[in-house]
Amino acid sequence: MRVPRSAALLAWLGVASPLGAQTLPSEPIALADGRVTISGDVSASYGSADPGFFNYTDYEHSSLRLLRVDVSAALKAGPHLSLLGEVRTENRDDIEAYALYARIRPWTARDFDIQVGRIPPTFGAFARRTYANDNPLIGYPLAYQYLTSLRPDSLPAHADELLQKRSLGWRLRYSLGSSTADRGVPLVSAFRWDTGVQVHAGAGSVRATVAITAGTVSNPLFFDDNSGRQIAGRLELRPVAGLIAGVSLARGRFVADSAARSALGEVPSASGDAFAQTAWGSDVEYSRAYYLLRFEAVVSAWSLPIVKAPAIANPLRATSTSIEGRYKFMPGMYVAARFDHIGFSDITGSTSTAPWDAPVTRVELGTGYSIQRNLLLKVSYQHNTRDGGLLRRVENLGAAQLVFWF
Amino acid sequence: MKMLALRLKVYVFSSVSLVSLVFSSGQLAAARNGVIRGRVDLRRVVSQAERRPSVNDLGAPAPRVVDDRLRSVVYLEAAPRRAFEVDDGGHAVMDQRNETFVPHLLAIMTGTTVDFPNSDKFYHNVFSLSKASRFDLGRYAAGHSRSIRFDRPGIVRVFCDIHSHMSAFILVFSHPYFSVTDDQGRYHINNVPPGSYGVIAWNEGTASEPKPITVPDGGTAELDFSLR
Repeated sequence: MRVPRSAALLAWLGVASPLGAQTLPSEPIALADGRVTISGDVSASYGSADPGFFNYTDYEHSSLRLLRVDVSAALKAGPHLSLLGEVRTENRDDIEAYALYARIRPWTARDFDIQVGRIPPTFGAFARRTYANDNPLIGYPLAYQYLTSLRPDSLPAHADELLQKRSLGWRLRYSLGSSTADRGVPLVSAFRWDTGVQVHAGAGSVRATVAITAGTVSNPLFFDDNSGRQIAGRLELRPVAGLIAGVSLARGRFVADSAARSALGEVPSASGDAFAQTAWGSDVEYSRAYYLLRFEAVVSAWSLPIVKAPAIANPLRATSTSIEGRYKFMPGMYVAARFDHIGFSDITGSTSTAPWDAPVTRVELGTGYSIQRNLLLKVSYQHNTRDGGLLRRVENLGAAQLVFWF
Repeated sequence: MKMLALRLKVYVFSSVSLVSLVFSSGQLAAARNGVIRGRVDLRRVVSQAERRPSVNDLGAPAPRVVDDRLRSVVYLEAAPRRAFEVDDGGHAVMDQRNETFVPHLLAIMTGTTVDFPNSDKFYHNVFSLSKASRFDLGRYAAGHSRSIRFDRPGIVRVFCDIHSHMSAFILVFSHPYFSVTDDQGRYHINNVPPGSYGVIAWNEGTASEPKPITVPDGGTAELDFSLR
């Protein structure tokens, strides 16, 4: 869902603000007696070059060198219906419709909603707070950003071919399926939303969400590329103030029909669950006074067609753990840190047994200073290590980011 | 002995102009205080801050109470010297209820301690980055309260770090001659020493030009305002 250049977005922002051209808005723009609200998030990051491609995202941009502009809007069509959308541009590329869905609340007094369209991620915790003012650091958790060497539309014929592509997830191609070089997928994409139907209900300290969508958590789609659907669920508990614990599960067909046909000569039946991605997640957030702690673990398993020997041992697993903390040490200033690791299951090729992609560990330290309530300056430092692969294995990266939101 | 005229220069807010008043300490002692009263008419009420569109939420957010943005503060631009003799402003309360600061507008004297109880079931995090007072009370749960003492006059914008649509104003004065209007816009500033003053009305960041008024000995002076 692309529309022409991003300049129109920025121009529109200036025109739409009722506060006039001289004043940047500090609160959401409200129109039609509050029935329409518009907000924006702008973040500009500049940091070290990243030749090891540790920080590259779905859109082939480094998160350390990124100008991101998001504009969100909500239209309250009545007590039972709202329309919500978000458009985004990165590094002044074309505007992308990131979210566009209808929220239906059948009973206004009950915490029960149905969302239809390009909907927020059901799975995990981080994917719904990727906005720069929700992220105390500049980098993203590896599970949601690091590009593995798997693609849904281009497949390795055997284990050796997969092992040859370790660490090349930012841009690769295999012998089966699409012959165009493109990025691999992360465990869970934080940079695209899936399309489908989502049902959410809450009662007391328990919230549950179930969704059926076209893509999978690592490859959300607007138009489906296979005949399978993903079902995802999340259960969240908030037993006391400040504590949120969630578990998530998702399963859906991962491999595109075009790639499956190239590998097998036929497409598996729609009812089967072949070539699926299955993901499990757990997350905990605890905050109190000036502390905020977050833990998130994601396990993902992909099943690919077995074509030639040495055969790929299905499923291919990846496990990610992330621990993040933030401490506000004075008004408007904080320090933050995140430890991240992503590991991969072993497969056996003709000459060796090794993880199917190169494991990565990242430690990121940073600080943030609020120049104004909605203007934040962040500085961070990353130490990245990769155990194997063809690219650089150790990188120390620095970055600064300016964040504005209204 | 010729009485010594005392020339006072008083800052009420750092953002408003400085004025000088001439008072005789002997006259102040003998005079009976008066009242300034009137009404503030808001031609346009500032709309409440809406929530940011909850695009990334799995469901609709809970409803919240609408801010009361009808109330204004009326205050003397400058005040007699004896107004500054009070050094303990006591306590005031700004509650956090249904994701709203209640009241939305608080006017206090320097030295006042404001309590911020949390009456919601979830965390709030009160903070301000205002020049007059920069503070962060951290996250705390329902039934708990944190306090902060305001020692510098000025305008303090208060926010919640978790709920960006929550905001409030605290106006801190170095003298007691101010009044918050009622829901009809009416105000009374009591115990004003007789004399000539400039009076200002303020609402949601907009201040009127100072209006001159003379408070008679033991009497009442009427003064209305129209803002925006």
